[in-house]
Amino acid sequence: MGIFSNIYDEGTLRKIEFLRRIRLFEGISKKSLIHVLESLQERTYLKGETIFAEGDIGRALFIDFSGKITLTKLNPETGKAEPLAEVAPGEFFGEMALLEEMPRSAGAAAAEETQVFMLFKTKLESLLFSYPRIGVVIASQLARILSARLRARTEKASASD
Amino acid sequence: MLDKNFKTLAQFLLPALLVLAGLYLAVQAGGAVFPLILSAALAYLLNPMVRYFEVRGIKRLYAVVGLYAAAGAALAAVVYLLVLFLSFEMESLRETWPLYARQLEAFVLGLNAKMVTSYPMLSGLNLPEKMNRLLAAGPAFILGLLPMLSLLFLVPFITFFVLLGGSGIIDYILDHIPARHSEIVLHVTSRIDESLGNYLRGILTEAFVIFLIAFTGLVLMGINYASAIAIIIGFSSLVPYLGAFVGAALASVVAYFQFGTFLAVFKVLAFFAGIRFFDDWFLQPYIMKRAVKLNPAVIVFALMAGWELGGIWGVVFSIPVTCIIKETLAIAIELQETEFQWKPAPEPTRISIPYT
Repeated sequence: MGIFSNIYDEGTLRKIEFLRRIRLFEGISKKSLIHVLESLQERTYLKGETIFAEGDIGRALFIDFSGKITLTKLNPETGKAEPLAEVAPGEFFGEMALLEEMPRSAGAAAAEETQVFMLFKTKLESLLFSYPRIGVVIASQLARILSARLRARTEKASASD
Repeated sequence: MLDKNFKTLAQFLLPALLVLAGLYLAVQAGGAVFPLILSAALAYLLNPMVRYFEVRGIKRLYAVVGLYAAAGAALAAVVYLLVLFLSFEMESLRETWPLYARQLEAFVLGLNAKMVTSYPMLSGLNLPEKMNRLLAAGPAFILGLLPMLSLLFLVPFITFFVLLGGSGIIDYILDHIPARHSEIVLHVTSRIDESLGNYLRGILTEAFVIFLIAFTGLVLMGINYASAIAIIIGFSSLVPYLGAFVGAALASVVAYFQFGTFLAVFKVLAFFAGIRFFDDWFLQPYIMKRAVKLNPAVIVFALMAGWELGGIWGVVFSIPVTCIIKETLAIAIELQETEFQWKPAPEPTRISIPYT
């Protein structure tokens, strides 16, 4: 048992368990999540570090693994970045980057030391090619999430009219 | 304003000086850097295997040690089998070599005599003397390769530590650049890794499949030295288009001297033409589907440039380096289009249709 715990990295198991709870990967088996983890890039941001600025070209989807992230929007009148939302562990943002490389509509900064997983478009394409079942699940979840966010925005816009 | 510009310049000064010093050291160290480059390339090829175990929960150290143990055992088995096969063939070559050498000499002398009779101006070519010089240069060439054997021990040793380090160098660089640029740096490295990795894994698989087909075919045709020829074909297949041509040339010569008829040569040529078509129509479209596409003209240019710059190792590294250059250029053009918006992105559909 001692030798096994020496060889085995408990952190990996924690990461797989974490990915199971992410809505984007809902419906993917635990075994297949290994391939998803293989495609993700890990990165740690220190408190106050800018993850990306508003207007930067988006290239990856970010999944918050630990720590809080603040999304900000520039106020054109004051020229200052104002908080828009706070992202907690288990939540993700920047999913539009997986579909098209367009300027980010908001900025993101680490509110505390934060660990994120990044999914790049090339890696998603690679998953779609090598493991179509996983790719299809992610693509359909992505479409559902985008549709829900678009609906919420449209309803908010019609309510304010 | 001037002060701000100076500060901006000053922060790049130290990294630029360090890079220049590193390049100077690499140029001065010359041959000593070479095993390091080879080790880095080997580590890059082996890394997906280590990563395979890492994402399944095995600590990197144990994954690397396990990989080395498994690779060592596999290598020992392959070397044993090769020695077994090759020793028979080498023994037979040693016995039959004087006969083959006489046949070869007679063939070249006969050909030379015919050519000189028909076309007297060809006597200037002096083929017999050239052939003797070529045969005499053979052992010297083989002896010249002996120092490379030290690489067989040095490269795996350095590779072990490079593999243990993992992506440490990239992480270190990312930790020392503004955090905002991490996304673009990782985007560029993952793009290059994706296409280069696919190319390298593809070409290794292709070379192995061609080796297996060539070995089986040559054994079935009863050609002597089938395993030695198949190994040379396998290695030369790492250079695009070369494998089948080298195989056809070598096996034709052996077939001619073994059977003494052009029918045997024709069979060998037909077999290797079959391999070439199978490679072009079935293997490459499947294996190299997601790799960088390189134009044959670019490949030939890259191989020639590689030979000029670094001899045989220049040829080996020419195609991977060309892949990196091509992908970097493609990314640079894309960056110009997205970052500086040279041209508007095409709309996937008429976006004025309202959301329903």
